[in-house]
Amino acid sequence: MNSLRFMVRTLRGLMSRPGPALSLMYLALVALTAAFADFLPIDPFKQDFVMMLEGPSASHWFGADELGRDILARVIYGARTSLVTAAGAVAIAAVIGVPMGLVAGFFGGWRDAVLMRIVDVMMALPAILFAMALIAVFGRSQGAALLAVGLTGVPGFARIVRAQVLTLRRRDFVVAVESFGGTSGYNMFRTILPNSWSQILVQVVVLSSVAILLEAALAFLGVGVPPPTPSWGEMLRTGKSYLYEAPYYAVLPGIALTLTILAFDTIGRGLARILENPRDVAAAGGPV
Amino acid sequence: MIGYILRRILQLLPVLFLASIGIWAMLYAVPGGPIGIILGENASPEQIAALRAELGLDRPVVIQYFDWLASVFRGDLGLSIHSREPVLALILHRLPATLQLAFAATIVAMLLGVPVAIISAMKPGSWLDRVLSGWSALALGVPTFWLGILLILLFAVNLRLLPSASVYAPLWSDPITALKSLILPALTLGVYVSGVLARFLRASLVSEMNMDYVRTARSKGLPERQIMRAHIIRNALLPFITIVGLQMATFIGGAVVTEAVFTYPGLGRLLIQAINTRDYPLIQGCIVVILVIYVLINLTVDVIYAYVDPRIEYR
Repeated sequence: MNSLRFMVRTLRGLMSRPGPALSLMYLALVALTAAFADFLPIDPFKQDFVMMLEGPSASHWFGADELGRDILARVIYGARTSLVTAAGAVAIAAVIGVPMGLVAGFFGGWRDAVLMRIVDVMMALPAILFAMALIAVFGRSQGAALLAVGLTGVPGFARIVRAQVLTLRRRDFVVAVESFGGTSGYNMFRTILPNSWSQILVQVVVLSSVAILLEAALAFLGVGVPPPTPSWGEMLRTGKSYLYEAPYYAVLPGIALTLTILAFDTIGRGLARILENPRDVAAAGGPV
Repeated sequence: MIGYILRRILQLLPVLFLASIGIWAMLYAVPGGPIGIILGENASPEQIAALRAELGLDRPVVIQYFDWLASVFRGDLGLSIHSREPVLALILHRLPATLQLAFAATIVAMLLGVPVAIISAMKPGSWLDRVLSGWSALALGVPTFWLGILLILLFAVNLRLLPSASVYAPLWSDPITALKSLILPALTLGVYVSGVLARFLRASLVSEMNMDYVRTARSKGLPERQIMRAHIIRNALLPFITIVGLQMATFIGGAVVTEAVFTYPGLGRLLIQAINTRDYPLIQGCIVVILVIYVLINLTVDVIYAYVDPRIEYR
């Protein structure tokens, strides 16, 4: 299938449903403001001690934090931390998990057994605890948060790709490539992988939602991306200490975080529905 | 049946073995290794040599590992660096609080999740179903730590009904303090899990509803409520048990975050304190205990599942 046409049709399919369409628009807004935040008249680090913990005002629409920094500005820059961490974490998870799944499913036997036991071990702890254990070893830094969240996503990719390989492994076109002398590597990466993109895509979107939640949870627990980098989780953590003095503090970061998580989740479920039923995409995008 | 349980345990062994190596290696992966953790960076070479000999670090790595594993089996998880108390004692001191929270949250999750699932499965696709599905999505999407903050804002800051910081009191010795402290954390954790339960129970109810035996029951003229109660719910309960069980296990993860919101003195808070003070033996101990609980819950779920569903072969 022509990949550009595939993308356009999938996008049209998503835009034809109210939930995913709204989610896409919201994420586009968040991503654009985060990307072009430097051109906005805001500064997430400027301290305005007169306005410390003051409520919403003309100069600070959503109030100021404990150091008098603008909360709206920090939420916008916090989007950057969230989205960049999510993108990086998903990339790490895919780069490790996809080849694991391919090799395990394609060769089977001892390779499958070894790789899947490793996956089992990674799933032997809840994701948040696995990530915390990794950060305990690496020390707290932006890189550690990224790597920890990324590694928790590896089992998801490995399992989904492995399942997909198992359904494709005995199909005629795969066996044909093999009988013409195609190498295993060629078969895995050029024959099977291109036929697994839709499953991988759904996993990418779903995992983005999980990665954003995990990153925020780690920051909330005080082991995520270290301050002064603005992050939604860190803002909720500080806001919690000032619930009586500044009850509005935790509201905006919480709304931004929740909507972002819900948006990725909605798009992921919409994608799964569209891609599992190709006719749905065709119907949404007109006759092919 | 006993054979089945034994086989499940055998299947778990390689995973537990690999996980134990990972947890053991944690101390060695930290910059400075076990010596650096205990002595800090400015230790003299004599001190280092003495400690190496004392801890047995001059022995072969394999022996060190099995030595550690043997002491874990004896219940010896080492000493906390900061309090110099046995790690296991510190953990056992905190464990009842977390278990009580998990138990209360399970009840909340069942009370919220099960009715939602049954009502929306009655008429799939109806407006009521859509509203309730939206509720489940919301319950799953709202981060527990934000929900917790909102609940504190409402019930503690505005209404002044409940405390914003929770203490642990055993339910049987001081029920009023225990309940006051538990309501908000249990609600926070329970709402999320109720979303998971509602989604899975609804899906499994709806798929049962399309079965032939339901059509037969309907053609016999049985009232809908009775079909639901006597036929559908019974069969849909099987996959549901698994989900509930697995969620019990992830409670431990969710509990860590929830405990942080309400400064509830459970295992999760202990782990966070340990990470912040770089108390590695304590971190290691917490992870060992959580892993054991997690694995035990999963094993129990498997066994209950096999016991409830006679179609699963024990051989």
